[in-house]
Amino acid sequence: MQLSKRKLLEMYKKMVTIREFEQSLSEAVAGGTLPGFVHLGIGQEAVHVGVAYALRPTDWVSSTHRDHGMLIARGADIKRMRAEIFGKVTGYCKGKGGSMHLAVYDKGAPGCNGILGPSQTINNGIALALKKRGQGDIAVVLFGDGAAHRGEFHEALNLASCWKLPALAICVNNQYAISVCVDDACAIEDIAARSTGYGIPGLVVDGNDVMAVYEAITETAKSIREGKGPALLELKTRRFKGHFEGDPQSYKTPEEVAEEMQNDPIPTFAKQLLEREITTEKVLKTIVDDVKKELQAAIEFAEQSDYPPLEEIYTDLFYEERRAV
Amino acid sequence: MKPVGIIANPASGKDIRRLVAYGSVFDNNEKVNIVRRVVLGLDAMGVKDIFFMPDYFGIGVRAMEDLNVAVKAHFLEMKIENAPDDSARAAGILSQLGAACIVTLGGDGTNRVVAKTCGATPLLPISTGTNNVFPTMVEGTLAGMAAGVTALNSSPRPEFIRQVPRLVLRHGTEIVDIALIDVVVSKPGFIASRAIWDIATLQEIFLCRAEPGSIGFSSVGGHMSHLSSADGKGLHIIIGPGPYEVKAPIAPGLIREVPVKSFRLFSPGEAIPLSHTPAMIALDGERERIEGKKNRVIIEIEVEGPWVVDIPRTLRYAAEQRLFLNPKQLRR
Repeated sequence: MQLSKRKLLEMYKKMVTIREFEQSLSEAVAGGTLPGFVHLGIGQEAVHVGVAYALRPTDWVSSTHRDHGMLIARGADIKRMRAEIFGKVTGYCKGKGGSMHLAVYDKGAPGCNGILGPSQTINNGIALALKKRGQGDIAVVLFGDGAAHRGEFHEALNLASCWKLPALAICVNNQYAISVCVDDACAIEDIAARSTGYGIPGLVVDGNDVMAVYEAITETAKSIREGKGPALLELKTRRFKGHFEGDPQSYKTPEEVAEEMQNDPIPTFAKQLLEREITTEKVLKTIVDDVKKELQAAIEFAEQSDYPPLEEIYTDLFYEERRAV
Repeated sequence: MKPVGIIANPASGKDIRRLVAYGSVFDNNEKVNIVRRVVLGLDAMGVKDIFFMPDYFGIGVRAMEDLNVAVKAHFLEMKIENAPDDSARAAGILSQLGAACIVTLGGDGTNRVVAKTCGATPLLPISTGTNNVFPTMVEGTLAGMAAGVTALNSSPRPEFIRQVPRLVLRHGTEIVDIALIDVVVSKPGFIASRAIWDIATLQEIFLCRAEPGSIGFSSVGGHMSHLSSADGKGLHIIIGPGPYEVKAPIAPGLIREVPVKSFRLFSPGEAIPLSHTPAMIALDGERERIEGKKNRVIIEIEVEGPWVVDIPRTLRYAAEQRLFLNPKQLRR
């Protein structure tokens, strides 16, 4: 699986961008400038970038409220992302989607979804549409280990398998469903093993190794495009932050928090790039500096943008007919 | 009586070859079942103590649950990192404890790691991996009984335990790694999902077993020049357009035409440098190492590899010694 140096450095830059973007949101919540719930994917950058780079631009990816990174990895503009999360009219959803319902249709992202579980059944609908179009595109859905215990998970996999839909279910197992550890809530060791019950392939992947994720998704997507039907991948990872910003994570021991931080996907990838003599420390530092500048521009863009006007409070919320009502 | 060690790798039998090939998933609950049968075999032979490598799934703990046996289970006191080093650490401790043998559950990769530190303690390998040449598919009960025979035997090197060769990678005089079956060299890349299946990236293969009846890269050599573990020689194959194309099962269900430019046997003491660096090195089927441009890597074969309990020979020996015969029946 050969990737060009340019592509590899681009992947590294995306990972750093996601990290810095999310970190800036964390600071905004702590500083009181960003109200409401924000769920950050710090620590899960290898998942977002590995998945995004293995897909075609015409594939669709549905995700959760912890997946701002997925949209950034697929090429969403961080200025409009930031504006959206801050409720500004220049955001991707004109400030009405916010962090929890960010959708970027031109990047194949029908929306982050805070209601976990149903996104898998919705993804089947997208997959059915793509199958009917017959252009070889696939529908991917990301969900957590908690959602894998919900009925929709099983219903969606069963139907996808029966209809041989071009659907890829990705369980991002970050070990915690809000505050419940997967060891206390899951009867089996690997959620991917549930694939057997639906007659589809299943695989566990190191979700903190971006190249392992990229390789696994590339091969799975290839199989799905060939018409072999859906698959279930489990990307095992960690979230470095609480379930939401402000969550003190009292359900984790300090030792556990320290241990999970040791397996940080970004330094891991940097080390791989350096060991393979693909790049130098200097180039990696320049990338980080560039990202910080781009992020600063995004912060200013969002700050300078307006909130939606009051008279548009109902605009774009309903279909035309509903709006008329 | 010497104790018996058990190292069951909870990570074996799950890699990407379930996707890119047609490998079966080897669920850890099945490993628990196999270990249970091994324990019952050991218990029937009168073994007093078993030492388990602890693991995150608790294969040993679960295997012993509700098992009505006299044999006592102990769990090694060691740090668990959920990494291959766990098996290496456990093998080192079991060797120090003077285990009669170490029963391993895993694939070639698991046994490679165990063989690094087990010293002269023999291995009794049960296959629960993907592309396995070193361990064999064997019923756990028989494996447990054979391990029991090994523990009962007082001879330091009975006839049913044999030494097999290994390949070593050297940087100068320093051994940096080993392989029990194959070293596969391919174009530089990432370790990523570890397995190798893309023959377009292959450069050369070193084998210490080349058997047409094997799965994996050992089968490529098997059609060039048959080499068993008793031959004590190595086979070096250069991949590329040339006089041969070998139809080889490089993974379960994955049969590929592998182009072979040249091949030759090599003997212990011959140091063969890698043809190209930088390169990705896969050991016993798993991408393990990147060798940089400036690294001068040498491959050699050594006949003094790990000791292995030959299960059929062990059970034949037991029959010859009438170890399993009921004396009452003999008297009749």
